[in-house]
Amino acid sequence: MRTRPHWLLYLYCVYLLVPIYWLINLSLRDNADILGSLSALPSDPSFANYLEIFSNPVWSSGFINSLSYVAINTVISLLVALPAAYAFSRYRFVGDRHLFFWLLSNRMAPPAVFLLPFFQLYSAIGLFDTHLAVALAHCLFTVPLAVWILEGFMASIPRSLDEMARIDGHSRSFFFFRIFLPAIRGGIGVTVFFCFMFSWVELLLARTLTGSSAKPIVVVMTRTVSASGVDWGVLAAAGVLTILPGLAVVYFVRNHLVRGFALGRV
Amino acid sequence: MRDNRAWLGVLPVLLIVAFSAVIPLMTVVNYSVQDIFDANTRIFVGLDWYRETLRDPRLQSALLRQILFSSLILALEIPLGILVAKSLPRAGRSVGLWLVLLAIPLLIPWNVVGTIWQLFARPDIGLLGATLQNLGFDYNYTAGTLDAWLTLLAMDVWHWTSLVALLAFAGLTAIPDAYYQAARLDGASRWQIFRHVELPRLTSVLTIAVLLRLMDSFMIYTEPFVLTGGGPGNSTTFLSQYLTSMAVGQFDLGPAAAFSVLYFLVVLLLCWLFYTSVMRNRDAD
Amino acid sequence: MAELLLSNLSHSYPGAGAPTLSGLNLRVASGEAHALLGSSGAGKSTLLNLLSGLLPASPGQLLLGGQDLADQPPSSRGVAQVFQFPVLYEAMSVLGNLAFPLRVMGMSRRDCRARARQMAEQLEIDHLLERRPTRLGLFEKQLVAIGKALVRPDLSLVLLDEPLTAAEPARKWRLRHTLKSLQRESGATMIYVTHDQTEALTFADRISVMHEGGILQTGSPEQLINAPTHEHVGYFVGTPGMNFLDARIESDVCLVGDVPFGSLVVSPGVCRIGFRPEWAKLAGAPAQTHSGSDWIIAADVISQRVLGTHRGVPFGLVDATVAGARIVTRQPLDEVPSGRAQLHLDTVRAFRQGWVVDA
Repeated sequence: MRTRPHWLLYLYCVYLLVPIYWLINLSLRDNADILGSLSALPSDPSFANYLEIFSNPVWSSGFINSLSYVAINTVISLLVALPAAYAFSRYRFVGDRHLFFWLLSNRMAPPAVFLLPFFQLYSAIGLFDTHLAVALAHCLFTVPLAVWILEGFMASIPRSLDEMARIDGHSRSFFFFRIFLPAIRGGIGVTVFFCFMFSWVELLLARTLTGSSAKPIVVVMTRTVSASGVDWGVLAAAGVLTILPGLAVVYFVRNHLVRGFALGRV
Repeated sequence: MRDNRAWLGVLPVLLIVAFSAVIPLMTVVNYSVQDIFDANTRIFVGLDWYRETLRDPRLQSALLRQILFSSLILALEIPLGILVAKSLPRAGRSVGLWLVLLAIPLLIPWNVVGTIWQLFARPDIGLLGATLQNLGFDYNYTAGTLDAWLTLLAMDVWHWTSLVALLAFAGLTAIPDAYYQAARLDGASRWQIFRHVELPRLTSVLTIAVLLRLMDSFMIYTEPFVLTGGGPGNSTTFLSQYLTSMAVGQFDLGPAAAFSVLYFLVVLLLCWLFYTSVMRNRDAD
Repeated sequence: MAELLLSNLSHSYPGAGAPTLSGLNLRVASGEAHALLGSSGAGKSTLLNLLSGLLPASPGQLLLGGQDLADQPPSSRGVAQVFQFPVLYEAMSVLGNLAFPLRVMGMSRRDCRARARQMAEQLEIDHLLERRPTRLGLFEKQLVAIGKALVRPDLSLVLLDEPLTAAEPARKWRLRHTLKSLQRESGATMIYVTHDQTEALTFADRISVMHEGGILQTGSPEQLINAPTHEHVGYFVGTPGMNFLDARIESDVCLVGDVPFGSLVVSPGVCRIGFRPEWAKLAGAPAQTHSGSDWIIAADVISQRVLGTHRGVPFGLVDATVAGARIVTRQPLDEVPSGRAQLHLDTVRAFRQGWVVDA
């Protein structure tokens, strides 16, 4: 129907972008300059804050740690969710609806509830302060979500495809890897997006389960008070850097996203 | 196709979730019914911790604050989300671009959301804060309760309205053009078109949006923690933060565990509502 | 109700190669039941949307009751439309749906409900008034949609876009009947778009046959059957449609396959002869040869299909070939030979480049 946006949309996008603009603005200025004067545009823009982050091991390791556990989490979630989603979409078995609901409820669990037990559990098995610990802990939320999204996409592939492959004489694994998975790559894209999105943004569990060696960027940012106070410029630069991976991911899956939303899976 | 061997496919998921969810939950329930003095001394106390928790005045005020906050969030984000969804173009090349733009706040780490608004709203270095000060308002979200609440609300609206908008947009684009045409021929006003053509179609999507926002706002922790730290005083301390401070700060395992179980049950109830609503939509398709 | 006048109306969709409508001229009298008949892609729906205002103005003129529609938005044109699938307000009851257009007009609540009830009675759906559309069958929903379109007292024009597509054949007949009586009673100017000639022939006072963006012929059902002015009209209207034979005119004699067939006072050259199955008869070859000017020609009968009996005599369709072309006749089957026969024609029309050539 309409191809041009209403003016409200422009207003809303201004609302969304102004604080981000301010973030970018501060990231390009020196801390002293920030505290000294308020200006809409940096008078002497520089990437010094970014350089500080890349060179200072505290910051750069924070980023690397975060990217590591997010990647591990995404891989584990996919590996584990694919067979489960396949089972849910293609077969009926005892207790399948109850299991599905229970899985869903895990996604909705308040992280705060799991703080204490996670801390004790992971300490007890020696996984405290590792990437794997955070990745596994995040699985609590990302795996059910992955199963749910993938099941939805798989359900839209007609069973006749399975039949045809079987009649053609292909083995089940051939069918799965060469035919089925490519057919749902939109769903895999959406899943990667949501796993990434949840794991990358989470603070509470990531903070609880890490100490100094696996400290994620989100923790570094919240604990960045030094003797001379907070370095707002570096903080802002770190903030900008944490937005970039998300932007990249959504750009790559943007077409799949709209379809994914339309299926009612969030 | 009925085949119980399909359980094999589900096994890896079960293992992971058992590890991540079942064992910790059992631990929590375990702690909630015991009084633990040290590693070797435990007494079974039944529902004592639960009673104590429910009577805790700080818990009750945190709960009231949480209910107020979540209600305000819903009252703001749902209508605004619908309006934004209606403002989006339905067809054309620019649609994808607008969707990406709307999605940006959803992709930012939650602590960075807090940081962005810190940098934006502080009276000393923030554009908003300084502007308000210059306009004559005595604005400081770390000192004034009203200021803190308003800033938190503005931040959450900024953060999550896009989710409602994207969901509503998905619902709106599913309406065939003929319905709009028929309404135009009837001479219906814009409000009547919204009420009679769009809103009935949006109910399923909006139910999902309401439940999601309700659940997520009920569990909110990071953003208010970064922005106000729960202050000034207790005025922005919501349930998750209170639980966290109990569990981590004070090592009062029993009450913390009881609180956790109750908290989880409330969210479970909301989740069940969500699930039945989604399943009902699915069957209706 | 009002008279509709289209003058040289055209329309092209942006980006499309060829225009969807080109130079349409049409006059529909006030209170007339008019059908737009044509296959898909003929431009019927586009014309409908131009009339209702859902498509913006195009080159050409559109007058309704003497008023130019170009500047008028859809809601003020006094036009109602029924779509191919029932388009109703899903959250309102049937009564609410029927009354809604009246409420928008500002009618009092009581009058709205009274008139809505009246319409429901005429359509025999008054027992469904309290139900929601989701609890109705497809046919009943379309009845509500039709009622909703006809309920306004200030209507100039009612447009129906293949409204019976969804109905089963038995109910189609009843609905057509109901529509026709509603149209007569209300005196509404109705334009009914369809690709089904039976619907058009039984519903309309006059029919416009559309093809590839133009109106080929407008006329009463009898005119279209007895005097088609274009090959496509002859072919599309009638069950089965017209037969065509390639022919040549030389010295006022029509030759088919170099055999003289009949006399036709038409300029010489290539043409096509068209005749309806009802105008033709296949019979046994008599002893004497024919003259070549009396419209008799040799034919080979292939098969017969019985359609029924008429006064005790079976009649039906006969398939045959004439000069290598397949033809069909519709006639009593008692004297049809098998194999060699003669084709007799009562009436014939000649066509050049599609259009009829008047003798």
